[in-house]
Amino acid sequence: MPEIITGTHGPEEGAGAGTPWPDDVPPNQDDTWYPLRDDPWRAARLEYFIAALWGVTGICGIGLMVVYWTGGQAQLEGWLLLAAFGCLGVGLLLWARQLLPGHEVTAIRHQHISEPEVRAAVVDSLSRGAEPMLSRRGFLVKKVLVPVGGIFGIAALWPLASMGPRPGNALYHTKWYPGARLVTEDGRALTVDDVMVDGLMTVWPEGYIDNPQSAAVLVNIGGQPLQARPGQAGFEVISGANGLVAFSKVCTHAGCAVSLFNVLSMQLICPCHQSTFNILQDCKPVFGPASRPLPQLPLGVAPGGYLIARSDFIEPIGPGFWNRSGD
Amino acid sequence: MSTVAERSAARKRAQQQQKALDWVDDRFGSSSWLRSAMDKIFPDHWSFMVGEIAMYTFVILIATGIYLALFYKASDAIVIYHGVYKPLDGQAMTEAYASTINLSFSVRAGLVMRQAHHWAALIFLAAITFHMCRVFFTGAFRRPREVNWIIGVTLLTLAMLEGFSGYSLPDDLLSGSGLRVVFSIVQSIPFVGVWLAFTIWGGNFPGTEFFGRLFVIHEFLFPLLLAGLLGGHLAILWRQTHTDFPGPGKTERNIVGSRLWPQYTVKSTALLMFIAAVIFGLGGLVQINPIWIYGPYQAARASAGTQPDWYVGWLDGALRLWPHWEFRSFGHELANPFFPGLLLPGIVFTVIYAWPWIDKRIYSDYGHHNLLDRPRDKPLRTAIGVAALIFFTDLTLASATDVIGTGLHISFELLIEILQYGSFIGPIIGFFVAYEVCVLLQQQVAHPIQRPVGGIIMRDARGGFHTVGGAHEGNGHEAHDVEHEEAVLEPVGAGASGRPSADEDDPPAINPDGGATLPGDDGHPSET
Amino acid sequence: MFKRRPASGPAGPGATGTSRRRSALAGPAALVGAVMAVFAVLFWTLPAPAQTKPVRTDPASIQAGETLFNLHCSACHGIGGVGAKGPPLLNVGPAAVDFFLSTGRMPLSSPNQEPVSGPPFFNKDQIANIVAYVNYVDILHGTPGPGIPDVTPPCGVQTPNCPTLSEGNTLFLLNCAQCHDASGAGGMLSHGYVVPSLRQATPTQVAEAIRVGPRPMPNFGPGQFTNQQVSAIADYVRYMSTSPDPGGLGIAHFGPVPEGFVAVIFGLGLLLLISRFIGNRG
Repeated sequence: MPEIITGTHGPEEGAGAGTPWPDDVPPNQDDTWYPLRDDPWRAARLEYFIAALWGVTGICGIGLMVVYWTGGQAQLEGWLLLAAFGCLGVGLLLWARQLLPGHEVTAIRHQHISEPEVRAAVVDSLSRGAEPMLSRRGFLVKKVLVPVGGIFGIAALWPLASMGPRPGNALYHTKWYPGARLVTEDGRALTVDDVMVDGLMTVWPEGYIDNPQSAAVLVNIGGQPLQARPGQAGFEVISGANGLVAFSKVCTHAGCAVSLFNVLSMQLICPCHQSTFNILQDCKPVFGPASRPLPQLPLGVAPGGYLIARSDFIEPIGPGFWNRSGD
Repeated sequence: MSTVAERSAARKRAQQQQKALDWVDDRFGSSSWLRSAMDKIFPDHWSFMVGEIAMYTFVILIATGIYLALFYKASDAIVIYHGVYKPLDGQAMTEAYASTINLSFSVRAGLVMRQAHHWAALIFLAAITFHMCRVFFTGAFRRPREVNWIIGVTLLTLAMLEGFSGYSLPDDLLSGSGLRVVFSIVQSIPFVGVWLAFTIWGGNFPGTEFFGRLFVIHEFLFPLLLAGLLGGHLAILWRQTHTDFPGPGKTERNIVGSRLWPQYTVKSTALLMFIAAVIFGLGGLVQINPIWIYGPYQAARASAGTQPDWYVGWLDGALRLWPHWEFRSFGHELANPFFPGLLLPGIVFTVIYAWPWIDKRIYSDYGHHNLLDRPRDKPLRTAIGVAALIFFTDLTLASATDVIGTGLHISFELLIEILQYGSFIGPIIGFFVAYEVCVLLQQQVAHPIQRPVGGIIMRDARGGFHTVGGAHEGNGHEAHDVEHEEAVLEPVGAGASGRPSADEDDPPAINPDGGATLPGDDGHPSET
Repeated sequence: MFKRRPASGPAGPGATGTSRRRSALAGPAALVGAVMAVFAVLFWTLPAPAQTKPVRTDPASIQAGETLFNLHCSACHGIGGVGAKGPPLLNVGPAAVDFFLSTGRMPLSSPNQEPVSGPPFFNKDQIANIVAYVNYVDILHGTPGPGIPDVTPPCGVQTPNCPTLSEGNTLFLLNCAQCHDASGAGGMLSHGYVVPSLRQATPTQVAEAIRVGPRPMPNFGPGQFTNQQVSAIADYVRYMSTSPDPGGLGIAHFGPVPEGFVAVIFGLGLLLLISRFIGNRG
């Protein structure tokens, strides 16, 4: 049983005899001393200095009003606020250190622990009514109230589910549909000759420009050999000197737009966490935290030379999730 | 010397004050509390002010935040911008973004307030972190202050989330990318992740009603929690009194410092003024978060140099450093962001929350402490803390790999690899180095203020002094074997005024439960 | 009283000043209106200005260019630009030559050096001559590359020939910001390639880089960006680089990283120093 320190709370147990106050001061401490108490001339000088400082604050305040009135300017406002608050602070600090008492005072530190009788009295109060409350081995409280409370608590949280729709299979589809033309952000449909070799453009399906899940990157790899993943062979379009491939722009790590393009190494890089994808190896990740390649869009050519998608991506785009079946 | 006029003026003033206080006491009976409050002592060490820095920064955040909230529109509705900033003219954007642009350019004090608010948020978290480190390294979390530690760590977590939600409100490209990453982290939670993400965002990313919700969280829910917990934090501190470093005349039973009135109040107000000066000075003079450069968030856009604010940097760095492992089996997938994004912070915060109890076990010290440790007095704790700091610094640096690489012309592949290895080699090295430094510092000269209480000082034939009686007691010194110690300079038995009992000179009683007792505590118990 | 100006923000070109009340004099107004109508008709119907800058074609310039080329460039690019240790220049076009020379990326001291921007080695006249020579060689070879773009300055309202800052902003953020940073401060590619800052580049250099695609940067041909779009991007980059930062010091324009440094090390550091003044040092 641990020993308990008796507390010194309560007026009758103050260290000084007869004093009614809890925090008491050893008798030889002077509670009114401050450094310049005995030097009134220096004290006066300091007070005037502090007054000057606070005067600067006032001037800065007027300056701020003028600046705001004439339209505002951030840097001027910054300087004025800095000066105003700074002078206020320096003045207050000098005032406290040199002109106000209360430094380096020693006092008794309270032990706020209650005495055993008081603690026991609390237990007594708490156990008042314990017998009827926990009758029949706590039947009402433990076996009824707690489970019912739990059920009702869950029911009370249920309306939070209205905050959003059930996902369904929303993550499995984008807005790409068979025959969708590849368009740029200003709505222009791209032909096989538009993107130069070693060039890239961000494209969307026609009619769904700026749709977040459907953004894709169209790259012209020229004549370089493409190593396709099983199931995604033939997704590219070769036309003359152009080798056109398109991949989802949504990073398979955490969803940022994969858009950096290193032409020398033929890599797409995501700026968020530096996942790096080899375009010529079907955008396989070769560095960084991404572990799945960027899904490839199956491309085709429509009459007039327009690039189209032959279908949606054949796998979910973007980051992984629990029910995402393996590729 | 006061003149007759001054004395009578003082009398009149006292009479007026008495009348006013009588009015209050008549209604609230507050006199006893007021007196003890004004007499209350606060230790003066500068490092104790860092918690105050955090508190006052919070006050400035609330004040500037209220101003910003008067102009910000928490709406996902699309508007066409036709304001002052020409490069955005005619572009479609959410009202959230447009209102923030208008606040920055068309509201007179708007830019300074916005920038001051953001700088204050960064400094807020820096102050909380420094304060937490100070509490950790000095052992201020020990009994009876464990609950305050819990509250403090919760304040840290809430502050981080509050900051993140705050800088995401403008819906700019930088913060929008951050929200996309968080969506992916939530999505990666097993079983319920996708449903939870769709519930919070109201649909697939980026959702159509998200900013209203974020606004409620940032403006209402979290500030309430922060203010409430901060109030509790301060109330407990008030009740338990502040800890202090050991020193001449300081014991577990007394407290040395400034009186609340007028000394501490005025000094504290001065600190508030300085904090305001720094924050508003930065707010007007140093640009932060220029959202007009980033443009409104669109999912197909990204910028180089996409980092979160510094205090979330360790999580972003963890996402960059974590290897590309994903686990797939039986048609289910544990996606990569789950581990650095949720598991790591979960483990980290569990350890931090539990630290007071871990510390008790390590040192078998279940005692009551009002005096602090110097970090060197607890080499193991200090070394663990240093290792943790190195770990978090490594992760924070990792979030800046592309920026660092651009500046130093080092590839990010190399930087990331260095930081990956550094994330466990660094802390290990740091641990041992810190431990040795602590032991070395302890062995140098027994600090004059740490007199070996409870031991007997013997003088040997060669004239040197050494202590007999085992470990250095007092303030939790660890036992260490030093063959021939230098004598402590302070003569035994002397001390500053006000120290109570003479039983501090008794030899220490070794508690059968294992913990050494602290003298000056009347044989203080350890917890059974 | 004081005039109301837009608060704390850059006013782009075309920002409105104070509105005026027109005088009711009918005669001068009609004359002004007629003149404006004539100009409008001319403006909309005249052919668009030439979209590339002319290259010198006189034999003296080509000769001077050939001399410079043989002296400084042929060691890597071969006599006549056929290629040696360095790539051939037979179809690069004037824009590429002008870009690499005016940004100081070429000539390299050694073939393995990575081209980085710096002070140009040649003066403008010499550059024009070398451009003339390489252009001459390319035309002889039959494959002239992209010409030096003639960047049109931005307009207040978008018209068929006149790009706006807003157009430039939209294009830049979608196509350029991911490598060059939204502020144009630069960034990092894989394999250690540093993406350069755009904040010192001229609009012509920006436009050239877009058309040429100096590796590892991709190139953007006329099928991807029209000339007006290229001008818009170049104008926007120039605007961004030259406008004063409304919020104060730009601290490298790299975003949260330098901001975090300033806040933690400078901001908190200053406050800790102040705390040491206020409290005891124990």
